[in-house]
Amino acid sequence: MVAFAPGRFIEPYVEFARKAFSREATYRFEVLTSIGSLVLRVYLLRSVWTALYAQNAAPADIPLHSMLTYATVALLMSLILEVDGTRIIRDKVREGTIATDLMKPIDLPLYFFSEGFGQTAFHALTILPSLLLALLFVHIDVPGIGTLAVFGCSFVLGYFVNFFLNFLMNSVAFWTLETFAIQLMVRWASDFLGGQLLPLTFFPGALGWIVERLPFAAVYSTPLRIYIGELPQSAWAGAMAAQVLWLALFALLSFVVWRAASRRVVVQGG
Amino acid sequence: MAPIIRTHELRKVFKALERTPGVAGTLKTLFSRTYVERVAVEGVTMSLEAGELVGYIGPNGAGKSTTIKMLTGILVPSSGEIVVAGLVPYHERKRNARNIGVVFGQRSQLYWDLPLIESFELLRAIYHVPHDRYRQNLAAFSKLLDLDSFIKTPVRQLSLGQRMRGDFAAAMLHDPKIVYLDEPTIGLDLVAKEAIRTFIAEVNRERGATFILTTHDLADVERLCRRIVLIDHGRLVYDGEVETLKEQYGTHRTLVVEFSENCAEVAVEGAEVESREGATVRYKFDRRTISADQLIRRVADLYAINDVTLEEPELESIIRRIYLEGYAEPETSPAAAGSTAR
Repeated sequence: MVAFAPGRFIEPYVEFARKAFSREATYRFEVLTSIGSLVLRVYLLRSVWTALYAQNAAPADIPLHSMLTYATVALLMSLILEVDGTRIIRDKVREGTIATDLMKPIDLPLYFFSEGFGQTAFHALTILPSLLLALLFVHIDVPGIGTLAVFGCSFVLGYFVNFFLNFLMNSVAFWTLETFAIQLMVRWASDFLGGQLLPLTFFPGALGWIVERLPFAAVYSTPLRIYIGELPQSAWAGAMAAQVLWLALFALLSFVVWRAASRRVVVQGG
Repeated sequence: MAPIIRTHELRKVFKALERTPGVAGTLKTLFSRTYVERVAVEGVTMSLEAGELVGYIGPNGAGKSTTIKMLTGILVPSSGEIVVAGLVPYHERKRNARNIGVVFGQRSQLYWDLPLIESFELLRAIYHVPHDRYRQNLAAFSKLLDLDSFIKTPVRQLSLGQRMRGDFAAAMLHDPKIVYLDEPTIGLDLVAKEAIRTFIAEVNRERGATFILTTHDLADVERLCRRIVLIDHGRLVYDGEVETLKEQYGTHRTLVVEFSENCAEVAVEGAEVESREGATVRYKFDRRTISADQLIRRVADLYAINDVTLEEPELESIIRRIYLEGYAEPETSPAAAGSTAR
C-alpha cells in the first residue's frame, strides 16, 4: 500500500534540521560572542604568524600570505566542523531519553545527522559576518572559481568524515556513558594532526609522512591545501580519493557500531 | 475480534554486573567480572481488547516499565510472545511506533527551547499526519486541554501542569491506536490531575483508543479503569475488574456510628469495636456473616443513634495489602474466582 515516496520519507528529517536551526538561533548572545571571539582569534593568528615568519626563514612552499590565508580559512571551517550534532547521542544515552526517541517511527542516525546539519547550517550563516570582520584585520587570498569549487567538494567530504568521526566517538557512550576523555583526545588529535592549527607540511620527516596519511588530514588539511594551492592540481584527485576512502571506512564502522549499540539497548535496556 | 494487545508467557531477564564492595572489590571487578541474572518480567500473559483502559499496577521495580518497553518494541523479550495491533513490536519497531502514543510523567518529549506549537509541527512531520487531520486534532485538543493560552510559549517556561497537557496533545496528534501512559499525573495538583483524567476518559470514549495506564496514584485507576492488571516481582498476580478485587478484599467493612449520648457499653453481636472516640464508634464487620442493614438495625435496637456511615475499603488499602502479603484468592468466594488471574 505504501509506495516509497522520498519526499514523505525525508520530511521529518528536514523538520528536525529546521528545529535544530531555530533552537540554535534562540541563543543570540552565544552567536555574538562566537563571532567576536573568532575575530579576535584571527587577529591573534595574524600577529603570531607574522612574528614567526619575521624571526625564521619561511618554509619554501608556504609564503606568509598563504599561511595567513590558511590559518584564517581553517578558523572559518572550524565554525562549521566544531559543531557536533551527534553529541546528543551522549546526552540522550546518559539521560535515558534515547528510549523515547526509539518509540518514534524514525531512523535515529539520520535524526542525529539532520540535527547536526540544522545546527551547522545556522553556524554557517555566522561565517559571513565573521569573514567580513576578519578581512578587516587580514588580507586573505581568494583562488579562482575552479579551485574554490574543488575546495568546496573536498570540504563537504571532510564534513562527512568529521560527522562519522564524531558519531563513532559519541556512540562510545552506549558502553561507557561518559565520553569526555575520548572526546578531548580526538578533538586534540583532529585539530593538531588534522592541520587545523598548522599545516601538516610543518611536521618533520617521517612524522610528516605519517600525519598526512592519518584520517584526520581528510577533515582540514586536504581542503585547505587545495585552497592555498600548496597541493598541485595533479594531486587533487588522489587526495580526494583518500578522503572518500576514509569516509567510506568510517561510515561502515559507524554502521557496525550503531548496530551493536542498538542491540545493546534493546537487549540490555540501555 | 482479535485482541489488540496479546502477550504470552512474556519473560525478560537482565544480566547485571556483580560488584564487590570496597577498593579491593572494585579492583577485582575490573579484572574478573561475574554477572548475575535478574528476572524483571516472569511469564506475563495478558490480552487487551481494543478500546480498553487498563491500569497496570505494581510496586517499584515490579517490572512495569520493562513490560511497557517490550510492548513499544524498544526491548527484546528473553522469551515469550507479544503481538500489538498485529505486529511483533521488536521486529517492526518503526511500524509499531506509528500505532502507539506514549506519555511519560517524568520525561517530556517536547522540544525544550522551542514554543509548544513547534513540537507539534515536528510530530506532524514525523507521523505524516495529513494537514486537515492535524488541524482538526489540534483544535480539538486545544479545546479539551485549554492549550491556546500557552501554545506559543517555549516549553521550558511552562508549568508542570501546562507541560503535561502539551505532552498529552503531542502523544495523541497522530491518532494512535494504543497509548501507554507512565505516571502521567505525577507531581500535578488536583485541578491539573482532574483535567488530565478527563482528557484520558474523553479520548478513550470518543476515539476508541486503547490505554495502558501505569501509575502509583490509585485515584487515577479508580477514576478511569474498570480493569486492572497487577504485577509484583515480575509476575502477574491479578488481572480482572477493579470491582471484583474490591469485593474479594473488601470482606471486612467499617460502620461508623455516632451515638446520641456517651454509652458505657457499645458491644453488638456480629461486629467488633475497632475504635472508640467519644460518642463515635467504629465497628468492623464481615459482610459475609452480617449485612450492613442487619448490623445497623441491631445497633439501633440497643442504643440511640445520631448518624451512621458505611466505609468502603479503598483500592489503595487493598493494593497495599496485596503488596505486603501477596495476592491470595479468598477461599469463600468461588463466584469471584472466575475472573481472577487467567
